[in-house]
Order: sequence, then structure tokens, then C-alpha cells
Amino acid sequence: MLQGSSYYRLLALLTLSLLVYSTVLRAEDNAQGVAFFEQKIRPLLVKHCYECHSLEQKKSKGGLTLDTRAGWQNGGDAGEPAIVPGSPDKSLLLKAVRHDDPDLAMPPKKPKLPPELIHDLTLWIKMGAPDPRTQSVEAKRADKTWWSLQPLKAAGPPVPAGLPPSWESNPIDRFVFAALALKGLTPSKPAGKRALLRRITYDLTGLPPTPDELDSFERDSAPDAYRKVVERLLQSPRYGERWGRHWLDVIRFGESRGYERNEIIPNAWPFRDYVIRSFNDDKPFNRFIQEHLAGDVLGPGDPDVEIGTAFLTAGPYDDVTNQDIVAQANIRATTVDDMVSATGAAFLGLTINCARCHHHKFDPIPTEDYYRIKAAFDGASHGSRVLVSKDVYEKHASARRPLEQRRDALAKEKAALEKAEPAEQSRLPEVKAALDAVNTELKKIPSLPTTWLPLFKQPQTTVVFKGGDPTKPGDPVKPASLAVLDKVTPAYELSVNAPEAERRMALARWITENNPLTARVLANRIWQHHFGTGIVDTPSDFGYLGGKPTHPELLDWLALRLIEKGWRLKDLHRDIVLSQTYQQSAEFREDASRVDKDACLLWRFPPRRLSAEEIRDTYLAVCGKLNLKMGGPGFRLYEYKQDNVATYIPLEKHGPETYRRAVYHHNARASIVDLLSDFDLPDNAFAAPRRVVTTTPLQALTQLNHAFTLDMAQALASELKRADASPAGQLNAAFRRLLQRQPSPQEHAAALALIEKHGLPAFCRALLNANELLYLD
Amino acid sequence: MNHDLLDVTRRRFFSRLGAGFAGLALADLLRADEKPWSPGTPQFAPRARQVLQIFCPGGASHMDLWDYKPELEKRDGQPLPGEENMVTFQGKNGPLMRSPWAFAPAGKSGKQISTLLPHMAAHVDEIAFLHGMTSRTNTHGPGCVFMNSCFTKEGFPTAGAWTSYALGSLNKNLPTYVAIQDTRGEPPNGKANWTNGFLPAQHQAVALAAQMPLRNLARPASISDGEEQATREFLRSLNAEHAATRPAESELVARMQAYELAARMQMAAPEVSDLSREPAAMHEHYGTGDKNPLKAAYARNCLLARRLLEQGVRYVSLYCASRASGVDGLLNWDAHKTLKADYERHGPIFDQPTAALLSDLKQRGMLKDTLVMWTTEFGRMPTRQETTQGRDHNPDGFTCWLMGAGIKGGVSSGATDEFGRRAVTNATSAYDLYATVLHLLGLDHERVTYYHNGTNRRLTDVHGHVIREVLV
Repeated sequence: MLQGSSYYRLLALLTLSLLVYSTVLRAEDNAQGVAFFEQKIRPLLVKHCYECHSLEQKKSKGGLTLDTRAGWQNGGDAGEPAIVPGSPDKSLLLKAVRHDDPDLAMPPKKPKLPPELIHDLTLWIKMGAPDPRTQSVEAKRADKTWWSLQPLKAAGPPVPAGLPPSWESNPIDRFVFAALALKGLTPSKPAGKRALLRRITYDLTGLPPTPDELDSFERDSAPDAYRKVVERLLQSPRYGERWGRHWLDVIRFGESRGYERNEIIPNAWPFRDYVIRSFNDDKPFNRFIQEHLAGDVLGPGDPDVEIGTAFLTAGPYDDVTNQDIVAQANIRATTVDDMVSATGAAFLGLTINCARCHHHKFDPIPTEDYYRIKAAFDGASHGSRVLVSKDVYEKHASARRPLEQRRDALAKEKAALEKAEPAEQSRLPEVKAALDAVNTELKKIPSLPTTWLPLFKQPQTTVVFKGGDPTKPGDPVKPASLAVLDKVTPAYELSVNAPEAERRMALARWITENNPLTARVLANRIWQHHFGTGIVDTPSDFGYLGGKPTHPELLDWLALRLIEKGWRLKDLHRDIVLSQTYQQSAEFREDASRVDKDACLLWRFPPRRLSAEEIRDTYLAVCGKLNLKMGGPGFRLYEYKQDNVATYIPLEKHGPETYRRAVYHHNARASIVDLLSDFDLPDNAFAAPRRVVTTTPLQALTQLNHAFTLDMAQALASELKRADASPAGQLNAAFRRLLQRQPSPQEHAAALALIEKHGLPAFCRALLNANELLYLD
Repeated sequence: MNHDLLDVTRRRFFSRLGAGFAGLALADLLRADEKPWSPGTPQFAPRARQVLQIFCPGGASHMDLWDYKPELEKRDGQPLPGEENMVTFQGKNGPLMRSPWAFAPAGKSGKQISTLLPHMAAHVDEIAFLHGMTSRTNTHGPGCVFMNSCFTKEGFPTAGAWTSYALGSLNKNLPTYVAIQDTRGEPPNGKANWTNGFLPAQHQAVALAAQMPLRNLARPASISDGEEQATREFLRSLNAEHAATRPAESELVARMQAYELAARMQMAAPEVSDLSREPAAMHEHYGTGDKNPLKAAYARNCLLARRLLEQGVRYVSLYCASRASGVDGLLNWDAHKTLKADYERHGPIFDQPTAALLSDLKQRGMLKDTLVMWTTEFGRMPTRQETTQGRDHNPDGFTCWLMGAGIKGGVSSGATDEFGRRAVTNATSAYDLYATVLHLLGLDHERVTYYHNGTNRRLTDVHGHVIREVLV
């Protein structure tokens, strides 16, 4: 939205410096020209153009304003200046008023300007377009001085006055305390053990602590009791399942193709397993990113490395058969756009995709840069291919080899016999039978499985599509880095026909080597998942429309720390969760809330609701039904139907084969799966770097009435009964399992009454719906 | 608070704001209690409060239903001038093909309408036809999604979700936005047609139809009423105690209220869906007892649509036909091979029940503040396909129409060329259609925005003009 004019500031020159221009004449020196402008041109513009192209009136159709010189110099969405001084024929403005291009006839829906006015305009442009209107254009966009585009700054953690001793040792605490102190705020007391254990266990594994885990933590009075818990959780395979899921959100991982047919993708799960494995192995994240873009270059033949490139084709794409050539070109452009968007957002926090049709409206990304990045992906397309280890491949080949040799020999013999005299063909039936037999044997050896992976081939030269339209090719571009960081990160530029693998590798290096955005964006994501909100609250947009950091120096400290620790996330997790900031109580404080209602500055730990996956996993875990089998094809909470197109019908009954962690659910696009969808599992048509948290009555209906809740309530009741015959014992155990505490006397009495009148499952069903189960302090 | 902090807070606040179905947004809670859900406010005086969108998926042919082309009759069998070798979605096109149905003038306006739709002919004087519609895609799925969300890529919020976000609910025990899918199944691209996209989940459409009750609505048969009440009461006290010690967490109260709303919905939704409460004459009027089961099913959904609107559902999407099947034109209006046979199937399913719904709305005075629109994802070619007696997809010109609140009847805006190939006068698209819809709802389509992944998104993307000539 437009801001009030009081916000207008001079930034036109900075903006200018970003764009490529032909000569800008110092036209204001030309007094005669200025007089001509005032007499002829200004009135023309006011009368015929300002209605739609005036900054003053906040009208900029097609992104173009004409009431300042900077306006036409910047041009509009076409991505080039509207006027090229001295060259009327190169000036879009003139083409438009002359109606050279029917799509660009100006003024729209009105008669063409009289010839004498067009003549005046032509003359003026020939004169060099002298234009005295030098007033400023408001800076409603970022330029290269934008905060997130600067090198990382190593600021020593501050030593604020009043810092409590326990907050001294961890630099994070010093940054946070200093920011609080600036607002006159103080941190909260440490959280109690129960709250802390629930918090850290869900945070690192997405599961609740067991009653035994709570007992042992409560009993452990050693100073490093909490540190030991953190270590245990970081080493748990459950960690990768929890944090891998965060990453799958960021990179829009979905397991159906989307669009009209939305066919299910049965072989994308190896990528999901690779993500989980990489997190559990604490793979350096710079390497992980490189594998996403160029795993096939880094580890050819190594399935564990090549699989990373499935990132490129993890998004939706249109696979309908379209005979219309223009439609085909548009579909392909959109398919590649998904790869460009995902790359920009996931690794760089940049909305590069906004420069597909015109220069980015808010960030310093010219449209050419979009196509420079696109050049890296022009050779990639969606598909499947065999991806197995050399061992598996060799085993398969060696099983086939003797049979193939025998087949070839028999075929040769058969051919020879068939050519022979009839009298010499007596062996023919025998050979034929043997050949059939060997072919049957060969067929019994299953072919190697294929994996959902991009297919690469050398693309045509990449050109700019004018206005994003593939039917309007513009100048060729070279595969290259974004100019926006060229003062900070070493740029690359390859030849127009560089091998396609080289392009992806160059981009991968540029993103992961000395790129301050990559480390900042990643550190922010980690922070966000620990505290619910990032230091920048728009995790995939560090541009002008995104949020500004609440703790800029801390963000850079974290980014540098990440690099220093070899891009290993677990070290950063330790830094964060062992901080006093993280271990604070979530208790509400009226006074602090008046200054900082949402605890953006972290005067307390911000409470949160569990995610969709955590809720379902919790149900299974506390009811004793969770199957911890890792990896492999996912389970489905819908019936998949396919005619010409796919339909996903949610299941009424979830069988025991679905009792695995939700990260293993086969998440198809545009499908709705009750509990998970109700609690904001994203559709993955887009990246979901930060989930929304909503409260709806559909959640209540599902939690109360879906067979899954009833089945879980029954399962829990059986477990409780097995352990203890008395209703009092059962309900105490239930509170302990689900809420990690004892019931109050009132709760105890009410629960007992419910159990006595309506049975244990009724009580279990109620407890599974309790707010306390779903919210973390 | 400094500016940055204020910004952050504001963003967090707005990311949860919205008074839609189960909105329970923080803003509402602060003033909620037992009052009906507080609707959002229009930006200026609205002409319409509710919207009924009738959607015929498959690409319903404009020149066989609404857009009379005498030239096609004259030049049947001749090549389409200038596009003799046209290759479109399914491939090569043959010559021009006249409509299998005659057109006849109807109403005072004398509007020509296909004789395939005799009942709809009675409404032409109330309808404003948009004959110059265009789409950005020639493919059903993206086309349906575009017609509902103004983006061909799925995942963007649909018009009903935007309406819910902007205006909130008009009732206290039913959803704000309901999608009534056809008995034959979901439309192309399925649930993407009524998604909230990146808007908060309370703005999603609830899928509900005469043949399909609201999911998880009914209490399980194994649970008695007494058990249900006792369970809910125990839960309520448990939650109340928990919330009492956390007075600042309004979400906890919101969830408790959501359970109460769910209970009210369990009463209200079956009631509104209970068509047996309608008199026999009304069933007769709509055709719910028709011997064609597909027509009867659609008629029941028409009746359901009226009942939902009557109970204050803000936005109802009603589908007549479904996704594409392996056989073109069988399940929807996608008549590639046998136009005549296909539309003799689809026309009668659509005609009487839709016309009955419109008369019913009118008789009850509901058209005063209900906007009705009829949409399809694109039209069809004036030619036949090279080897068939059907027409291929045509995104370059087709018809949609508006009726009811704030709409001038008996008019036509925009036009295709003499054959129906392209929009040539006052071309419009989903952007303009929804700019108009929002305008009638008292909203400026350029000012209803929501920040998502780096952009302040709006329903009409960066386009759209209000189609003023069809407004009263």
C-alpha cells in the first residue's frame, strides 16, 4: 500500500544506479529544451497521461509514473525506460502513443492523440527529452544498502548494565538482555522443570516426554541435568523427523504433481528420507544446499548425494498434454519459475520470482537477473530415473548377466537353425523352449526402482521474456549471479552456452560461499523454530516487504557462529536452547506485556500451540500406538482415485498401518486430511516457511468425532486398564501420560465421576481434546 | 514501542485477524461473548451482502448457450477466416460448426438464448451477460482455479475466502463460505477451487452438499447424548481451569468457544440441510424428484444453496458438473467429440433447477442483496475439431453472467467477434469480474490485501476494473 507523502524521501539516484540505462542527458542545462517541455510537453502529459501515471495521484498503471523525470527513466513493468533520450524509435512511450503495438496502445480506450501532439513528443525526445522535474521519488523500495544485503557484522556481545550473572556466559543472553533493557524490560524467571522438559522435547523431537523421562529429569539435581536432556534429544533419530519436516515446508515438498491431473508421486519419499537423514547426521548445511542444486555434480552415482537435486522438482507442475504451442511455452516458463522461486526463497530469502515480468518492485533485482538465475534451471525437467548405489546396480546386473548371455547364445543358435536345411532343424523346438525359459527367468528379476528426480539436458540459450511472456523473447542472458550482492559476494558469470551442470554448480557455490544472506536466512529459520517467530518474522523474505530484524546484531552473531561451526545446526541448537533466554518461564507479566505484547523481545518464552504433526504424533504416542518405523514409502490418510485426474478422499477410519509419525504421511497436494489439514498442515502448493495457526470449529468436530480420536481413546483406555485396575489409578496415570502432571483434587473428582458414569474411554476422549495437551508453556 | 517493534506486532496481529467462519480471531474475542460473530466492515455502502456463484466446469460453450452467432449458421462448414490451420488444446481444428440448437428471443429485452435452456429464458431480463470474457489458460484445472482465484497456479485464496476475510460471517452457527460440489465429484483441480490458500484457515470453504454432509459433524453413533454432554462438560471445566491460570492467552478461550460453536453447528447444519422441510411444490419447482438422477441431485443442491443463503451463509459456490473423466464431455461441459449428445445431457440437468433457484430467490426478495454469478473456466471454439463433432477449449472469448443485487438486468456487456472466436469489445476476465463482485460487496478490490511470501496479495492480482455498465 502507498504510504503518506510525508514518508517520501530522496532515493531516486540510488535507484537509478541499479538500473541499466542509455545515456541520461544533463538536460536541465538546456534552457531552450526546458521551455519546450513547459510549453508543449508538460500540458500534454498532465492532460493525457497523469490520470493513470502519476505518483502524486498514486496511480502507476503498469508500474509507470510520468510526473517526474525519474518516473519515465525507471520505466514501468516493461523493465526498460519509457523514454530513450535522443531516440524516439526506441522509446516505449512513443511506440505506445503511436499505437505501434496494439497491446500497448495509449491512452487506453480513448482516441489516439492528435498527430501534432505526437509530433511534439517525438521532437522533444529527439532533443534529448529535457525534463526539469527533478523532484524526488519516494523510496518505497530497497536498494543495495538494504540491511540484509550487507556483509555479516561481527559485533561482540554487549555487556549491558544489570546483567544477571546467569545471563553472562551465553552471548545470546547478552544480546537479548540488552534489547530488553533498552525498553526497560527484564527477563522472566527460569521455567519449571515440567514446562522446560515439555518445551525442549517437543522442540527437538516433536513428541511429548514420557512419564519416565520426566521422573528422571525431576530427580536429577545435577547442574548439567538439562544439558544431558538436550544431548539425548539431539542424538535421537526423532530430531531429524522433527527438523526435517520444517525444511520440507520451506522447500514446498509435496508428493503429487498438482494442477489438473494432480497424479500422486509414489517415488518422492527417498528425498524426504534424505532430508531426515541429513538432519540427523548433522550434515553441514552449506553442503546440503549444494546437494539440492547440484548433487548430481558433487556425487555422481552416489544416491545419497544425487537425491538432493529432487529439491528442484519438489514443487507442483502442470503435466497436462497441451497441443497449443503458446500454452506449452507458458507452462514450461511456469515450471522453471517454480525452481527459481524456491531457490530464491529457501536459501536467500529473496523473492526473485517477483522479477519475472518486470524489475522487482521492491527489491533491487532487475528482470535480467531473474533470467540469469533461470538459466541455471532451464535444463531441468520433472521426471523419474533409476538412482541406486553401485552395489545394488552391480548386484542387479550380475543377476541378469548369465541369463542374458545364455539368451543371446540361444537366440544366435535359433537364428542359425532357422536358416539351416529342414533336416538339420531337429534341435529347433528344444532351443526355442530353452529361449522361452530363459526369457521367463529374466522377467522374474524385477527392474530397478526409479526415483522422482529432475532430468537434465543442455538447454537453449536463455533469453529475457519481455513482460514475462515467453512469446516475446528479448536479449539473451548469461547464467550469472544476482547483481544485488556483487559488492559483497564474489559474482560469477558463465558463457551463454555453459554446460547446464556447471550453471547449477556455480549458483550453488555462489549461494553457499561468502553469501551473507544464506547464513542469515538459515540462522533466522533455526531461531524461528525454537521461539515460534524469527528475528525476522518473514523467514523467506528479507526484502523490502519483509520484516525487519528485532535483534540485528544477534542475527549476525548467529549467522557467523553457524559458519564458524562448519554450518552444523546442532551446535547452533545447543547455543540457543541452553541459553537462559530459551529457558525462561512462559508466564504472563502484565507490565512487560504493556510494552511488548507479543514478547518480540523475549521477556518471556512465547507459548505456542502444537503443530498438526505434533498433535497427531502425540495422540499416537500417549495412547501407546506410535510406530517408530523410519523411512520408506509414506502412509496415506486418503483413498487415492484416478481416472483422468486424481481425487483424494479422506479416510473415515485410520488403520494401524497409518500409526507412524506424520512426517511419513504421503502429503499430496490439494488433498484434505482431517486432523492434519484442520491444524494448518500446509498444502505445499507454495513454500510454507512459517505456518499459520488458526482456531476453527472444524478442529473441534474432528477432534471429537473422527474415528481416529475414538480409536485412540479406546487404545488409551486399554493401556490404562492394563496397568491399573482402579479408576483413580487410571486417571492419575492418564494425567501423567498426557499432561505430565497430577490432577488437582477437583479434576480428580470430576474425572472420576465421568469415568464411573460413562466409562474410561469417555474420559480419554475428553483428555485428548484438552487445551493443555495442545499448548506448550 | 519503536517503529520496528510496532511493525512486527502489527504483522503478527493481522496474520491472525479475520472474522470468518470460526474466525475466533483475537480481535473478535476481545468483544465476543455470546454475540454473533462480528462481521468485518465493508469499505463503503455495499449493494450486495451475499454471493451465489454457479459454476459449470468443463468449459461451457458460449455459442451454444448464451452468445448467439447467426454468422455461424450461415458459414457452417466453412473455414474460420484467418485461422484456417488453428492448433488448439487438443490439436487441429476443422471448419466452423453451427450450434446444434436454434436460438430464440426471450423476455422484454428480446435477448437471444439457446433453446437448449428453455427455463433459463425466463430470466434474461434480470441477467447482465458478459460476452467478452477471457481466461489466461486453455486447461481445465488451472482455468477453474483462475476463475475462482484469479491465478492459474493453485494455492491462492479463492474469491469466497477473500470475501470471508474481508467481511466475516453473517451468522453465528454456520460456515461463512460453503462449496456445494456436484454429485458426480469435484471440479477440475478439486479442492483448490474453494481453498483459503494462504489466508487463515477460518476462511476456507466448508464442503457440503445434499449428497454429502459436513465432515465429522455428527456425534459418533456409539456415544450417547448423556455421555456427550458429560464429556463436553468435563472438557470445559478442564479447559477453563487451564485458561484461568493463563489469562493472557486468548487463543485458549478461542478454542473453548470453537467447541461451543461446533456444538451449535451440530444443531444448525443438519437443519439447514434437511430438505424435507421444504413443501412438495417447492421440490416440484426445482425438480428434485426428476427421473434423471443427475438432474434431481443438482436440483437438491440448488435447493440447499437457497437454504444456506437464507441462513446467512455469505458465499455459496454451487457446481453443476465435475472433473474431467477419461471420456470427454461425460461428466462435465467439456464437449470435444460429441457436442450435441453431451449438451443434451448437461443442458437439462442445469436448466430447470437453476431457473427455479433464481425465481425462488427473487420471490423471497433475496435478490435484493444477493449477487448471483454464473461462471465457467473458458468457452469453446466456433470450429469443430478436425476429426470430431465437438469443440476445443477457447480461452479467448466466452460468456459469464451476473444477476441480482446491484446488477442491471437485460443487458449485455462485451462481445466476441461474429463467430465467437475472440472477445473483441469490452474484453473482461476474472479480474474484472471480481473487481465488480467486491465493489458490489462494498470493497475496493485494490485495498483488500494480505501479505504473503514477499507480496501484498489481492484477489485481482495487479489487474481488474469494475464493469460499471452492468451496475444499476
